[in-house]
Amino acid sequence: MTPDVAEGSALLKERVTFALFDRAARTVKFLLPIAALLLVWEGAVRAGLAESNILPAPSMVIARAIELLDVTNPAGGMLLTHIATSLYRALSAFAFAVLVAIPLGFLLGLSGTVYRWVSPVISLLLPLPAVAWTPILLVAFGQGDVTIITVCFLGAVFPVLYSTIQGVRSVSRQSVWVVRSMGANFGDIFVRVMLPATLPALMSGLKLGMAHAWRTLVAAEMLAALSSGLGYMIFAARSYMDVPTMFVGIVCLAVIGMLIEHFLFVPLENATTRKWEGAIHVGGRR
Amino acid sequence: MLANLATTPFPRMANAKPKIVADKVRMSFGRVNAIEDVTCTIGEQEFVSIIGPSGCGKSTFLYLIAGFEKSSGGTISVNGTTVTRPGPDRGVVFQEFVLFPWRTVLRNITLGLEIQKVPRREAEERARKWIRLTGLSGFEDAYPATLSGGMKQRVAIARALTYEPEVLLLDEPFGALDVQTKNYMIRDLQNLWIEANKTIVMVTHSVEEAVLMADRVLVFGARPSSIVADVRIDLPHPRTVDDRRLREYQAEVTAVLSAEVDRSMSLERAHPA
Ligand SMILES: Nc1ncnc2c1ncn2[C@@H]1O[C@H](COP(=O)(O)OP(=O)(O)OP(=O)(O)O)[C@@H](O)[C@H]1O
Ligand SMILES: [Mg+2]
Repeated sequence: MTPDVAEGSALLKERVTFALFDRAARTVKFLLPIAALLLVWEGAVRAGLAESNILPAPSMVIARAIELLDVTNPAGGMLLTHIATSLYRALSAFAFAVLVAIPLGFLLGLSGTVYRWVSPVISLLLPLPAVAWTPILLVAFGQGDVTIITVCFLGAVFPVLYSTIQGVRSVSRQSVWVVRSMGANFGDIFVRVMLPATLPALMSGLKLGMAHAWRTLVAAEMLAALSSGLGYMIFAARSYMDVPTMFVGIVCLAVIGMLIEHFLFVPLENATTRKWEGAIHVGGRR
Repeated sequence: MLANLATTPFPRMANAKPKIVADKVRMSFGRVNAIEDVTCTIGEQEFVSIIGPSGCGKSTFLYLIAGFEKSSGGTISVNGTTVTRPGPDRGVVFQEFVLFPWRTVLRNITLGLEIQKVPRREAEERARKWIRLTGLSGFEDAYPATLSGGMKQRVAIARALTYEPEVLLLDEPFGALDVQTKNYMIRDLQNLWIEANKTIVMVTHSVEEAVLMADRVLVFGARPSSIVADVRIDLPHPRTVDDRRLREYQAEVTAVLSAEVDRSMSLERAHPA
């Protein structure tokens, strides 16, 4: 090994080490405030400042979570099933929403006339909480997955649709002109300009859509689930005044929501929009 | 002499055969009458500069030649064919650059060749020449968001030059460059034009630039505009800035232009849009 190469690999090692260290430091920085909150909470309950049958201490919630995770326990052990069911419902509703909203969004965004007709309707439906449809869907489909997934779909579809339309409409005439003057046909314009130019708006639409699906899910499950799902678990626990189980559900909803954002959208953004934005985001990266 | 210039619609015609012919071109946007009546002939391999008050319709005129917009009246033809749509025979450098943020510098520049199905390797080869000439070497893999205004402008210029259109339509192509870089780019553009048989129409705000580079300077009048002067710069290329006759031409064009800018400003103030 020449000294140069040795030096290079030492440098590389140093950089990898630094990257790992940086990552660990960021994780600690993120977890520290949460740990602090939990400590204060635990202390407050133990000191008798809070009623433990309304606000159970974190240690009680963790103990209940362990019970609920124990698959061998015939009475409990349902937590993983609840999580799986909820994820299945939310993700399939989101997938349907994306499959419908993106093509429709391009269609509406590209045609001025259609857009003028449809956009008032969308503006009306966009702020409407999708849960409001649940009773109607219950009448139509009864309790169960169809109703829940449809409600979540309605929650997710409008943000994605709206963002896609806005993205398509924000593409400047000039950027289309640039490729037209290079001899581009419609396919080129679509693939090389419309699609990538829409991506940033689309990305925030997808995030919003998924978040809406996840939020809507809980309410829909409380109203329409037969036997499983995190919303169902939380709601069912009220019959036994089982507050720790409710907290387990709430924590699961928060953590899973965050993990979806982190493992679905952050990599997606890193591979696309974040790369182009370059230096602008160096300081603001999470 | 000046008055004479301003009232002569067609001074000396180019001896080359006509490349771009504009005949009684009008353009209005709703109630804004941008171009009233522009008639001119630009010869093959001619370098024509367009100068005029801000908002008089210079960019609009370039877009009409490019075929991006339809005129409200009159016709424009390129190579004897009436322009109805854009085509790869006419390359445009936009005043606002219009780069694609999701493409690296190199990919922005090879875009034209990519669309024309030129193999990637050859496209990169041809792009590199312009990357070198525009001083962008080392920035091939940078994304536009990380570039300065002047660098973006150079990418836009390189992008239009790389797919080698016969006609180059440049909308203030040096606006964002510092004097030093600008001088290099001007020299390269002149060399390109001398070597490569291009017809160039360049909009600019700088009389010095116009007179230095162009065979002819068209002065557009205040909106609704028409051509108020067509000044042939009868000097051999390449020219140098300290040429005395160049400065005379400069004074001549400046005089016509100042009168038009004054007129445009007083019109704007009398009837604000
Ligand atoms: N798409 C458009 N819609 C409405 N008005 C327009 C449009 N494009 C241009 N105009 C108007 O036409 C006139 C000429 O515009 P243009 O951009 O051609 O001017 P310009 O000579 O290039 O000015 P500058 O030197 O400032 O770039 C302006 O009054 C402008 O407001
Ligand atoms: Mg302009």
